[in-house]
Amino acid sequence: MASGIGDRAGVTRRESLALASGLALTASGLGAARAQTSGAPVRVGGTLALTGPLAQTGAIHKVVGEIFIAQANKAGGMMGRPIEWVLLDDQSKPDLARTLYERLITVDKVDLLMGPYATANILSAIAVAQRFNKVLVHHTFGIPKLANYDKHFPAWPLGAEPEKTMPAAVYDALASAGKAPKTVAIVTSKFPSVQFIAAGAREVAKQRGITEALYLEFEFGNRDFGPIAARVREANADLLFMGAIGLEASQLLEALDKLNYQPKNHYYVYPTPGPLAASPLGANALAATAYEDLAPLNSSPTAQEFSKLFHAAATSAKLPYAEPDTQAGTSYAAWQMLTQAVNATKSLDDDAIAKYLKTNGADTIVGKYSFGGSNNYGPDLMKVKQVQGGAWNIVWPKETATPGKAIVAK
Amino acid sequence: MTAAAPTQTSRRAAPLGFALALIALAALPLAHPPPFFESFLYLIFFWIALSTSWTILSGFTGYVSFGHGAFYGVGMYAMADLGPRLPLWLALPVAGALAAALGVVIGAIVFRVRRLRGELFALLTLALAIVLATVVLNTPIDGGPGVFLNGVVPPQIYKSPSSTIYLMGGVVAIGAMALAWHIQSAKLGRGLFAISDDEDVAEVLGVPTFGYKIAAIAISSAIAGVMGAVHALFISYVTVGETFSITTPLYVLLMAVLGGARHWAGPAIGAIFITALSYSFVGGDFALAARAAIGLTLVLATLFLPDGVVGLILKSWRSRHAAPAPEAAAPEAREAMPRPDPARFDWAAKPLVAARGVSLAFRGVQALDGVDLDIREGEILGLVGPNGSGKSTLINVLSGLYMPDAGEVRFGGHEIARASGHARARLGVARTFQIPRPFARVSVLDNVMVPAMFGAGGLDATAARARAMEALAFVGLDGRADALPATLNLHQRKFLELARALASDARLIMLDEVLAGLTPREIANAIDMVRRIHARGATILFVEHNMRAVLELTDRLIVLNQGRLIADGAPRAVMDDPAVIAAYLGAPDAAH
Amino acid sequence: MISATLLGQSVLSGLFSGCLYALLGLGLTLSWRYLRIINLAHFALIFLAAYIAYWMNSAYGFHPLLTCLAMIPAFFALGVAQQLLFIRFKVGEFASVIVTFGLTIIVESLIQWIWSADFVRMETHLARGSLEIGKLLAPWDELFMCAVAISVCVATWACLNFTWLGKALRASLDNPDIAASFGVPNRALALLVSGAAASFAAIGGVFVALLYTLTPSSIYSWFGVVLATVLLGGLGSPLGAIAAGLLIGVGEAMTMAVVAPSWAPIAPFTLLILILVLWPERI
Repeated sequence: MASGIGDRAGVTRRESLALASGLALTASGLGAARAQTSGAPVRVGGTLALTGPLAQTGAIHKVVGEIFIAQANKAGGMMGRPIEWVLLDDQSKPDLARTLYERLITVDKVDLLMGPYATANILSAIAVAQRFNKVLVHHTFGIPKLANYDKHFPAWPLGAEPEKTMPAAVYDALASAGKAPKTVAIVTSKFPSVQFIAAGAREVAKQRGITEALYLEFEFGNRDFGPIAARVREANADLLFMGAIGLEASQLLEALDKLNYQPKNHYYVYPTPGPLAASPLGANALAATAYEDLAPLNSSPTAQEFSKLFHAAATSAKLPYAEPDTQAGTSYAAWQMLTQAVNATKSLDDDAIAKYLKTNGADTIVGKYSFGGSNNYGPDLMKVKQVQGGAWNIVWPKETATPGKAIVAK
Repeated sequence: MTAAAPTQTSRRAAPLGFALALIALAALPLAHPPPFFESFLYLIFFWIALSTSWTILSGFTGYVSFGHGAFYGVGMYAMADLGPRLPLWLALPVAGALAAALGVVIGAIVFRVRRLRGELFALLTLALAIVLATVVLNTPIDGGPGVFLNGVVPPQIYKSPSSTIYLMGGVVAIGAMALAWHIQSAKLGRGLFAISDDEDVAEVLGVPTFGYKIAAIAISSAIAGVMGAVHALFISYVTVGETFSITTPLYVLLMAVLGGARHWAGPAIGAIFITALSYSFVGGDFALAARAAIGLTLVLATLFLPDGVVGLILKSWRSRHAAPAPEAAAPEAREAMPRPDPARFDWAAKPLVAARGVSLAFRGVQALDGVDLDIREGEILGLVGPNGSGKSTLINVLSGLYMPDAGEVRFGGHEIARASGHARARLGVARTFQIPRPFARVSVLDNVMVPAMFGAGGLDATAARARAMEALAFVGLDGRADALPATLNLHQRKFLELARALASDARLIMLDEVLAGLTPREIANAIDMVRRIHARGATILFVEHNMRAVLELTDRLIVLNQGRLIADGAPRAVMDDPAVIAAYLGAPDAAH
Repeated sequence: MISATLLGQSVLSGLFSGCLYALLGLGLTLSWRYLRIINLAHFALIFLAAYIAYWMNSAYGFHPLLTCLAMIPAFFALGVAQQLLFIRFKVGEFASVIVTFGLTIIVESLIQWIWSADFVRMETHLARGSLEIGKLLAPWDELFMCAVAISVCVATWACLNFTWLGKALRASLDNPDIAASFGVPNRALALLVSGAAASFAAIGGVFVALLYTLTPSSIYSWFGVVLATVLLGGLGSPLGAIAAGLLIGVGEAMTMAVVAPSWAPIAPFTLLILILVLWPERI
């Protein structure tokens, strides 16, 4: 994804092609459902932020859910019955999410639940699920220690202590290239799900004897990154570790560029992937990921097909970045977990499903999940990716690294 | 929309309605509705409470708050912090008290500054909310990660804790509405509406504007604080971004204005409408079209319901019940009012007002320069002087609109030079304004009831209504009691000013150019009126340009020129004083 | 310790932000003062313009400044249409908040429908790089934005103070009936103000697109700071808007550099509160 006007014009051409193929996909999906499944549909209820400030990511989860259901219904749905998704718009508001989950359970009487998008709304949904003793599988929960309900199953594979494991992975990855950072500048948004990871990065740095050259917190929604960039430039650390969510990574990089400064090594927790890959400023940027359309992660046929379908559907939904990444991958994994548990237990009973998942975990495109740890968290499946040549590659840990690619460190 | 005083029926019906609503609220969980229903009702209650609380401050007083999220945020974080440590029955009122304390501190600072009205008050509240959010975000109150209230479980009254939260929300919402209803029909509400229409006039008619505004902000912020505390339990995860988001105060304002911001029921109607509207569009397939539909509804509703829903209802009610307006002929003064108790007045010719050395300068211009003045009990004192001589300034100083730079003013034994306007009104000082300044959005009757309740008489609402009708009958405006002041002509508006002064039962009435702009016939009518007001036992300071009227009416005449008193004596003698003639050289009215 | 470079760089950054606040607030302050319309839809128009500039550039390679020139008359017409609606329905100050908020939601939905809710960024080679002033760096695109913002504000100020137009506007605001009897065309003036305000939104929008990544919901993130700029500067005052914008922008930037970025709003808004309470006549 290089930048430039000509290239962008190409996107528009692709858009119209994809629109057509997207329509074809939907049609074939519907046709197949009639052929493969029978009986009353299994109704899965959930909300997503389809409007409001979280809508840009909510849209990804809508696309993924639709892809999964179309696919699954071709392959027998749940217990041979078609899956029907009762999707409501929580308008990015946690209080509305709570009310809507109650409605899904008690009025729409859905059989199963699927989580909403983003931490605050998922916390609301977990509280409802707990009151009604329902299983809640969710895809994008960022603060493991807050989720203490025994029937919630997270697909965002952080492990129980991401505040330790995620920074450690970054320091390890750089060390593997012989460039272990001696100084680190930590800058974080005061957004709950990244702030605690940045705080953890301080601790881990201290343990490893890495000097903290700068620690800054800024308000989520901050617009002026000029002064922050000036301080980052002054600190001039070996590693810029940014607790960034969404656009903040690109915003800081643009501000740094205006000061003619490129960070030596730079890591962002949850950046919006598209703009970072598209911009030359993003070169060598590191970020966390759980899924990319890259070997070895995409080597299974399921992953291959999902990635292909996602490209088409995302393009027709006019999402500017049509590559499946962590958001899309974990969203798909959440649906896989739920479907596997239902089909294995041949039951819609929440206790049975929960027991199955606790005992057996789940096999997904993101990897093998288990839920035996504290707060139902299992192994840390997060990886480190890097922008190389205008595209993301996975560079750490080595066994899941994109073949032939290694971390570029300075 | 006018803030009509609740009619007799609503005075009895409303408390019954609130009681029934509470019973229905408490009974609903027994019918085992789907839990989501309670949750949905809770959201409505939440917005009702917040928008009603907003209207008690902003709708009633006209001080528009853009920062209502601050009070609500204090409540939320108070619960987040205290919830795990205090029992709920204690944490809720503490949250309300903390929010109210913030409101009172803000009010005590802001309401002293006369200019901080309108958009400046809006700006101030917006800035305060931003500052508060920044403090919460950067201190251990939150610090950024948000506060998770999983340790705070409300007591189970029915089956589930969520029924309890629903009940708490309902009680706060219905309580807020009942409070707003009560305020609107009580003395406080009349004072607040007067403040919103013309704060200076309200003050000199006897409304303790500062105290009333403090009361309004305290009540308003306490409700928002308690609701915030309940909401913290409802969402159970409190973050700065959500709590202090600008959309919360914006939605609160929208709801209140859409329903009708100057009526206790308006915000609730708006809250129900907007919450139900946004809830009816949660289907996943058409989320975007639904959002556009919400926007469109807001636009259309406002264009076609400019006064809010309540305004529309009141308007149609009024058009069905209002008597046809009589033709706008000059009102003929009718039967004289019965004299008030003469025992209140001391007819000895001792000074009622004794001013010594009163001075006041505006930006270097000496408007009053060491004025010494006595007004004797029971006289009609004429005050004349060329334009800009300080006549109106003197009235403003005596009525408390301006504080003098120097000097003393004694009124019936009290030192009042630095007393507030409303304190003087209580003592028995009343005035009219040269350009009539009626409270524009309340009826003629309500205009006159304000001084009857807040002035020297200090009557209760029923007595004040009778007194006001009496005063209106006296000036011949009783046929227009239900009209809005804007429908009166100038003559009638001047008489409305007189009626307000009359209804206050004042000992001193200062008339500021009541004759200016009237036709000769109206002037004759007005002179007669002044005479009859005097005959009822009031002392009158009569400021006028019309010399014929001055000679006809006054017992004594004083003359101001360039802020100094240059003559004092019998009217004829003063008019012949060379200094006065020099000051007046060429004044056209002198020839009449 | 805080170095002089860091301080200087932060002041520069604050100056740039401040100019943008003023540019975005200019239309708002004019319509608030002269039309008594609190036009929240101004923010929606800014973002509509930003998205159009982005789209014309990325899809057709149009230079953003060309798009800007083309949009000025189009947005002028939009502003006129909006004001005609307001005149027809006699929308008051309070009600205008709701109507324009409704319009904002409609425009936001329209933007999301056309361009999706995802982030978009105009990639242009216009004014990349920075001017070096000693050790300080001033990005060309922001310098350009400042120049435009200051010129537009000064031109508007001159127009209001040295031409018949400004006098007529004030007369019309003071007493429309008397103004009309002296030949002031009240209605045409109102349409002109509204049209001009919308045109300023078009200009502001192009710079938002140049400097920021766009997403529909970020319309709302500008409300607080721009409203504060407009009110602090004094309603209807273009130079006041510049001064207030700079005060807020520099205040924020200095707090970021000296204390911590997350404390940024505290300095300008505390200052604002103090000014309001202690010297209300200054505003």
